[in-house]
Amino acid sequence: MFFLTGVLLSGVSDKLAYLDPGSGSFLLQLLIAALLGAGIALRASWGKIKGLFGGKPAKDEDADEDDDD
Amino acid sequence: MTKGKLPASFRDPSGFLFTREGVLYRQVNREYTDEYGMLMRSGLYEKLVKARLLVAHEEVEVQPLEPLLAFKVIRPERAPFISYPYEWSFSQLKDAALTTLRIQKRALKAGMSLKDASAYNIQFVDGKPLLIDTLSFETYQEGLPWVAYRQFCQHFLAPLALMAHTDVRLSQLLRVYIDGVPLDLASRLLPVRTRLDFGLLTHLHIHASAQKRYAGEAIQAQKSRAGMSKGALLSLIENLEATVKKLTWKPGGTEWGDYYDITNYSEAAFAHKKELITSWVAHVKPRLVWDLGANTGVFSRIASDAGYQTVAFDIDPSAVEKNYLQVQAEKSGKLLPLVLDLTNPSPALGWDNKERDSFGQRGPADMVFALALIHHLAISNNVPLPELARFFHETGKWLVLEFVPKSDSQVQKLLASREDIFPNYCRQVIEQVFSPRFIIHQAVQVGDSERILYLMEARKNVV
Repeated sequence: MFFLTGVLLSGVSDKLAYLDPGSGSFLLQLLIAALLGAGIALRASWGKIKGLFGGKPAKDEDADEDDDD
Repeated sequence: MTKGKLPASFRDPSGFLFTREGVLYRQVNREYTDEYGMLMRSGLYEKLVKARLLVAHEEVEVQPLEPLLAFKVIRPERAPFISYPYEWSFSQLKDAALTTLRIQKRALKAGMSLKDASAYNIQFVDGKPLLIDTLSFETYQEGLPWVAYRQFCQHFLAPLALMAHTDVRLSQLLRVYIDGVPLDLASRLLPVRTRLDFGLLTHLHIHASAQKRYAGEAIQAQKSRAGMSKGALLSLIENLEATVKKLTWKPGGTEWGDYYDITNYSEAAFAHKKELITSWVAHVKPRLVWDLGANTGVFSRIASDAGYQTVAFDIDPSAVEKNYLQVQAEKSGKLLPLVLDLTNPSPALGWDNKERDSFGQRGPADMVFALALIHHLAISNNVPLPELARFFHETGKWLVLEFVPKSDSQVQKLLASREDIFPNYCRQVIEQVFSPRFIIHQAVQVGDSERILYLMEARKNVV
């Protein structure tokens, strides 16, 4: 399935990519995203554990960050 | 290159800029039809324009410059003055970076993504950074990382980190490297403690190593396994945003320090100088003013507050930073502060030396202020007076020139450590040298000081 997705993705996305994303830059983003994801998951579960012992759940840092709209 | 096509506009096959009869147009090419349609229909264009993040445009019925490729021609709102990242102060580059990320976040929400993150796509209009490339958007492809990530780090994050953590003057690296500061160079120049910051560690230091490690490696296979969710991409953008926000730089005492406190001006003379400039600006009604050696923009504001578009150039990054912060606080949109060393002004750069205009190519201005400036050029930089007259004649149609005589302590300071080899530096010779090129309309002694303020008009047809 991964293979199939890949064929679809590369078929569409290369059409207009006039910029070289750079192989290292491309792969690093996946790593950073994984680290950030793990960080968020860790914080969330830490919040839950604290919640079990009566602490206040951690404030969602991203909530007031979004100045869009 | 087709006549009229702007030489900076060749990289992206989605379209290009051209001018016809002095009007700026952008041709949208056929291959960009779908993306353009999505930008306009998804509501993203309207939202970004309303938020003053993207340049507004009109679709126009004019003959395309290259009809075989054309889908549409649009007429974008024109920036009053084009400036470049190596001319920006720290906060200007930081604001431009944050604007780029804000746009990317909104684009992702609308199902699109920025396909480039070039600092040259940002211009300061009405005091705020604005994306001027309408064709920077592509349809977002779920699973793929950000194609412009490398460019963002090179154009924005690396120079900002260097300015904040190493030396603010390293912004000048952008003048050498047209596609942003190479990350391995930034990584070497940054202090070790920047590795303790998650954002700088990953986006710059590890990024530099990853570039080296995977250089030239095909990523087609990895693309197929990419699987970066939209949420993950958003958190990456937000992390970049937080990393940029954390970078700070405080302008120290400026090179000119408490210049206005130690000049030979009494309060009355200072007021007189302001009054003279105010009336001369009102007389000339310039469309564009260049204040050369503007310091923090005290006199530039006479023109910009009167509603005239003004660019305040100074060599000192601290003075320009203070000026820009003041522009933000006052919301004085007509004033654009920029860093410029007049003894070595921005050259023409890029491919064929035609991508970025030199300082001179962006002129002439309608009115140039050279206040307490020429002693620096004539004495510190040894520029002969006839050369100065020629330079100013090419730079502006009207000139407000302040002559600071040798007896002035500011000039004495410049002469303190060197031989006085400037017998010609006096009022009589200046008038004699400037007269063939300028009509001297006014020559007024400023208050009780020994300084002279001139209003000059450039003569036409001077060889």
